[in-house]
Amino acid sequence: MTYVEKPAVPKVVKLEEPTATERKILEMMLNTGSDIYQGACKKRGSTCKDEYRKVAGIAYMDPKDMAKLGVTNWESVKVTTDWGEVVVYAAHSRDAPHEGTIFIPKGPWANVITSHETYCCCDPTYKGITCTVEKSDEEVLLMADLMRAVYKKYVGDEESIPELKSLGEMPVFKKK
Amino acid sequence: MEYILKNGIVYDPANDIAGEKMDVMFKDGKIVSNVSSDAKVLDVTDKIVMPAGVDPHAHIAGPKLVVGRIYRPEDSRKGVTPKTDVCRSESGFSIPSCPATGYRYSRMGYGTVVEAAVPPLEAKHTHEEIMAIPNIDVPPLPLFGNNWFVMQYAKEDRIDELAAFISSWLKIVKGYGVKLVNPCGSEAWGWGMNVHGIDDPAPYWDVTSKEVIRALSKANEMLGLPHSIHVHANDIGHPGNTPTTIGTIDCVKDITKNSGVRNQTIHMTHLQFHIYNGTSWRDVESGAGDVTDYINKNKHVTFDVGQITLDETTTMTADGPHEYSLHALNGLKWANKDIELETSSGLVPFIYSGKSPVHSLMWAIGLELFLGTEDPWQVCLTTDHPNAGPFIRYPRIISWLMSNERRQEMMDNKEVHPWAHRKSALATMDREYDFNEIATITRAGPAKIYGFKDRGALTPGFNADIAVYDLNPNDIDPSREPTAIEAAFGAAMYTIKDGQILVKDGEIVKVVPSHTIWTNVKGFEEQENAIMEKVMPDFNRFYTVKFENYKVHDHFTPYPIVVDVQASK
Amino acid sequence: MAYEPPVTDYDEIVENCTCAFCGCNCDDLDYLVKDGHVVGVRHACRLGASKIMEDMDQRLLVPMIRDENGDLVEVDWEAALDKAAELIAGAVRPIFYGWSETSIETMKHGIRLGELVGAVLDNQATICHGPSLQAVQNVGYPVMTLGEVKNRADMCIYTGSNPMNSHPRHMSRYSTFPRGWFRQRGRFDRTVVTMDPKYSDTAKMSDIWVGFDQNGDYGFYNAIRAVLKGKELQQDVISGIAKEDIVELAEAMKNTQFGALFFGLGLTHTISKQRNIDMAIQMVTDLNKYTKWVLMPMRGHFNVNGFNIFMAYEMGFPYGVDFARGYPRYMNGETNTIDLLTRKECDVFMVIAADPGAHYPGGAVKHLAEIPVIQVDIHWGPSTEIADVVLPGSFIGVEAGGTSYRMDGVPIYMKKAIDKPETCRDDEWIMRELLERVQKIKEKEAVASK
Repeated sequence: MTYVEKPAVPKVVKLEEPTATERKILEMMLNTGSDIYQGACKKRGSTCKDEYRKVAGIAYMDPKDMAKLGVTNWESVKVTTDWGEVVVYAAHSRDAPHEGTIFIPKGPWANVITSHETYCCCDPTYKGITCTVEKSDEEVLLMADLMRAVYKKYVGDEESIPELKSLGEMPVFKKK
Repeated sequence: MEYILKNGIVYDPANDIAGEKMDVMFKDGKIVSNVSSDAKVLDVTDKIVMPAGVDPHAHIAGPKLVVGRIYRPEDSRKGVTPKTDVCRSESGFSIPSCPATGYRYSRMGYGTVVEAAVPPLEAKHTHEEIMAIPNIDVPPLPLFGNNWFVMQYAKEDRIDELAAFISSWLKIVKGYGVKLVNPCGSEAWGWGMNVHGIDDPAPYWDVTSKEVIRALSKANEMLGLPHSIHVHANDIGHPGNTPTTIGTIDCVKDITKNSGVRNQTIHMTHLQFHIYNGTSWRDVESGAGDVTDYINKNKHVTFDVGQITLDETTTMTADGPHEYSLHALNGLKWANKDIELETSSGLVPFIYSGKSPVHSLMWAIGLELFLGTEDPWQVCLTTDHPNAGPFIRYPRIISWLMSNERRQEMMDNKEVHPWAHRKSALATMDREYDFNEIATITRAGPAKIYGFKDRGALTPGFNADIAVYDLNPNDIDPSREPTAIEAAFGAAMYTIKDGQILVKDGEIVKVVPSHTIWTNVKGFEEQENAIMEKVMPDFNRFYTVKFENYKVHDHFTPYPIVVDVQASK
Repeated sequence: MAYEPPVTDYDEIVENCTCAFCGCNCDDLDYLVKDGHVVGVRHACRLGASKIMEDMDQRLLVPMIRDENGDLVEVDWEAALDKAAELIAGAVRPIFYGWSETSIETMKHGIRLGELVGAVLDNQATICHGPSLQAVQNVGYPVMTLGEVKNRADMCIYTGSNPMNSHPRHMSRYSTFPRGWFRQRGRFDRTVVTMDPKYSDTAKMSDIWVGFDQNGDYGFYNAIRAVLKGKELQQDVISGIAKEDIVELAEAMKNTQFGALFFGLGLTHTISKQRNIDMAIQMVTDLNKYTKWVLMPMRGHFNVNGFNIFMAYEMGFPYGVDFARGYPRYMNGETNTIDLLTRKECDVFMVIAADPGAHYPGGAVKHLAEIPVIQVDIHWGPSTEIADVVLPGSFIGVEAGGTSYRMDGVPIYMKKAIDKPETCRDDEWIMRELLERVQKIKEKEAVASK
């Protein structure tokens, strides 16, 4: 059972959290790091697949925070930090309660918004970053599309990126 | 290829040659008694020629070293040199990188260096480093003194099984001989404790250091290994440890030697750290006199000194509790590395200074040991590298041994604290080593102690491992010219290894891979199979690796020198 | 989860294989092999099994070079190696990064190549336990092998680490559950403490969870140290933890027989970085006045420790070693990959068995998008999307043998179990080829300049 469609996440039904007041945007603390679903998928090599997007392009949130934003499992949220913004899935965290904190497993999605600041200690600051979280209509990008959209290494015309065809879930290269 | 070293002044103590002007010839890597007229002539007229050096005890390769290099970049930065056409970059002072270790020994005219402490579980690591060290051959000594299997057999006095265990394990880890470090004490450090003296049992084991030492010595002699047991005694560095040390040596006196090549049944290592009289660092005094009295009367013991060189260095030993107490003493960063079922170990940086009373006394005690031991075949020159100082200081120690004037000057000038002469007899000792004695304590003696039959002498058939030093013994007065002595022994005119010229005029001219020397006991296979069957259930339960992944595979010793030993009664 | 029947259709079992995932290097895996493929793995955790039962869809099988349109195109080995060698030989400030998922034998050629061209050699420690190594250099390194914990420990602490997610067999094989010589009842003989702001999967199975505040590590360990030194705490709550609880925990730590502290990236990735670990190490050192305590960084890759060990014995420094000046130089925060990339110093980047595309912060990846990137790896990953030359390697511990060092420094020779895909090459071979090709280019240059 090494392949999964998506991680098992708890479904907290009580959306109408009495203490939660609906908010458009939340000021949160972002942590990133390893997670077993992300680790298994990454090292198996399935990074182009939808599975990787589901296990690493995801923000695990406290149910109360999700209630405030009015998002449910597998809806999109946009996370913004000083270093960038990225659209990921929202899901109830199995480690809750941790109101005010979100966790995005390490991976290309988290990278867009983590801090490269090492403070001369060689190691970037992957944890404890202030961020904002808001509901989003945008689709979470597959890994290859994300890399293209963010780093644009081989894109001639940057304006054209949203129009480009998805690179899909399989490696794209020219065979001999 | 044939060579003739012409007109050198040869010191070859094993062959009773003490300063004779003669030629040394070698062919295809071996010493020979004559060569053809095609032989290439190396003119070394009136230069000192000796067998290449043999270091009987140093820490140069393995897990402890790497901990030191990882956690002391400040030491690595001290010895950085750019790469050259021949050499790679060097780094380090007290814990040089592997390439630097090989180059530096080679420059001093050394050819063989014993790696003195190998935890069997991490033996592959030691062998990887030996592969990375060029130009010197390395016999590694695995640690047995706190091994749980050994402690069980010792407690029950099962010497046959212990011998089988040792002969198996030497094959498994590709080791040369039996090393003991603070027997029972390193196991006690598993609980943050230590043992005191040789009759204090390890917690939960009900076996004492004395029992372990005797059992290992008996097993060692049952197998007839080329080297005797190699002992780092209990109570290292504690004022008042002299009785423990003499007790340790004395407890194996009755065990019969079973080897034709060596004289001793016990080798005591870095003895300088083990002979402090008194009860505290306040009233400490040298115990060298008591110990040399004993050694001069008893031939079953040899030792190396562990001479303090008064440098900033890195202490590292499988004596875990001792390192923690050093940390408590100097407050510098403490590293520890305990190995499951086998040993503990630790490291602490240490700054030995001539301004410190205690360090100066330790310096004096080491010299007292050299000067008080009558038979140079019983004493070897070491610094327990890097514990008492880095090995690159050997030439300086030689200069101290050869010059009473220099030693007195150091005491007079306050280069060392007055404790050096107040609390030791050093100021009263005017003995000076001659070149033949230096050759004995740096090559011939250690080679005999290790039972080497291919090095340490210029006997025809032996490896052509030769050092030439740019000194004319008839001209120089070592007593007056210590600086010249130090310079010459630090930069060999030639270092020749297996007939190849590796160093010329103090510079590396050639780099060759090192050999690993290990002991292969034959004729004990049945007992070995039986013991492995007994060991395996416990091995599988208590180690965290599979046996298949524990042993040292052959490819970790690409250039082995296997010493076959016929086990015999 | 769906029930999966056990795999029964296999030709042979290869026993005692070593897992090539995390720093646990479990060496008790059995591979079930059929037709030259691993079809099942026994004893591995979810992570290990997942890696060994790899996704062949994304296996890198052929060498590739990026063409002028920005498309990767399959080429033969000769062309790919020549292109890579040409880039490396022409580089002014190359970085060779990665190494943590390949063998020591591969590194031996890599370092020669680095010395030859004056590269920076760095590994994943630079984004994981680099601060731990700095802390070790500041205050010490009291460690042990994992069997010491198994046989002796009666208290295990995980701090800033979540082994149930990142080292799933750590607790079952080494620390918490196994029965040891002095701990015959296994789990029942031990107290397990998790210190983490998050109520992690590890915290859920611990006896004690200390949920200190985010970035509260430094203050919390300091408070423990103060208690150990007999000081009265001046505040009622420190880092979110009540004073009484801190005192109680410190007393419990003092009264163990053998304690082990395992720490992870929770300490290295937060704002105080190496200072957190300074404090944790000193806490353990202080505890040794009372009883036996040791610690261990939870290293993430199976050979990340191996690279640090290898570099230390070869050159005296553990990682971030800069050969640009013809001798090894090591300055934290200066000669490390992330710093070099964000300063835009690097002009050719070679990644060996690592995935910067997946694990570097965007600010560093941005520079990789501006320079040539050579990738040596086994899977198509985020880094392949920004790679200009791709050299498909082989899988250490499955398709190729090699030496690795466990998180505690125990060396393990990971044996080969099956053959690699025909079109791939061993990492060791690739590095040697690159070295030889660059040597030839340099020799030619030397002749030409004369």
